[in-house]
Amino acid sequence: MIGTTIAFYVLAAATLLSGAGVVLFRDAVYSMLSLICNLLCLALFFLLLGGLFIATIQVLIYAGAVMVLFLFVVTMLAPDAQAAGTPAPGRQIWQWGAGTGLAVILAGSLIVALTSGAVARDARAAGGDPGNGLAEHVASLGGNVEAFGYALFHGFSFPFEVTSALLVVAVLGAVVLGRRASRS
Amino acid sequence: MAANGYLIVSALLFAIGVVGVLARRNPLVMFMSIELMLNAVNLSFMTFAHFLNSVDGWMFVFLVLTVAAAEVVVGLAIIVSIFRARRDIDVDELSSLKG
Repeated sequence: MIGTTIAFYVLAAATLLSGAGVVLFRDAVYSMLSLICNLLCLALFFLLLGGLFIATIQVLIYAGAVMVLFLFVVTMLAPDAQAAGTPAPGRQIWQWGAGTGLAVILAGSLIVALTSGAVARDARAAGGDPGNGLAEHVASLGGNVEAFGYALFHGFSFPFEVTSALLVVAVLGAVVLGRRASRS
Repeated sequence: MAANGYLIVSALLFAIGVVGVLARRNPLVMFMSIELMLNAVNLSFMTFAHFLNSVDGWMFVFLVLTVAAAEVVVGLAIIVSIFRARRDIDVDELSSLKG
């Protein structure tokens, strides 16, 4: 139990620091690497919360495939994208001040809403041994992937099918947008 | 570890993402901040799945992951084609759609 607590604090610090790095780094490539670090930390959080399969696809798909695509575009546009990071100074300070102020208000209200909302109350009422019921349910179905697949095709099969349509549309959109305009 | 700790990390991460979208002017970094926000919500979903003893939260994480992948593909294609058209991707300069 104490191990989980220590892991939580270390991971929380790493997650928030790498998240801040995404916003604060001047160089877009550094922001990118910070984001990958952030996604890996979140995958560890998911492991801590008993989601082995979700943690795996987080690493494989998000930190792997999606971020490689991202890094490819960032490095392709990098030299000119850097120029965009050095604007008129007065305006920049104003934007940062307003943005940070609004975000602090948002963070406060989100924390209150999340920790005292109806779902959080249900979670607290669910019992003194959190995660155990989930672990039992997963074990009764034969494992993490089995539990995920069972839930996906019992009640979430329609959203799953819509997902495939969404991906096809996204691929078509990328093909249309990526085509050289001179051909049409 | 109580649920509140995870939820507070999630809320702070979301707020960091909001700062990124509001204050940065490089559209690529704004895009990364959107990813940050999506992942903050994923952490909330996983927390609630864990503490409500239900697998349903995992499904939402899975769907968010798919939507994020689709969004990255289309968004990056748009950024690249804007860059091709005008060699400049500062969001403040992209005001040609202004009414």
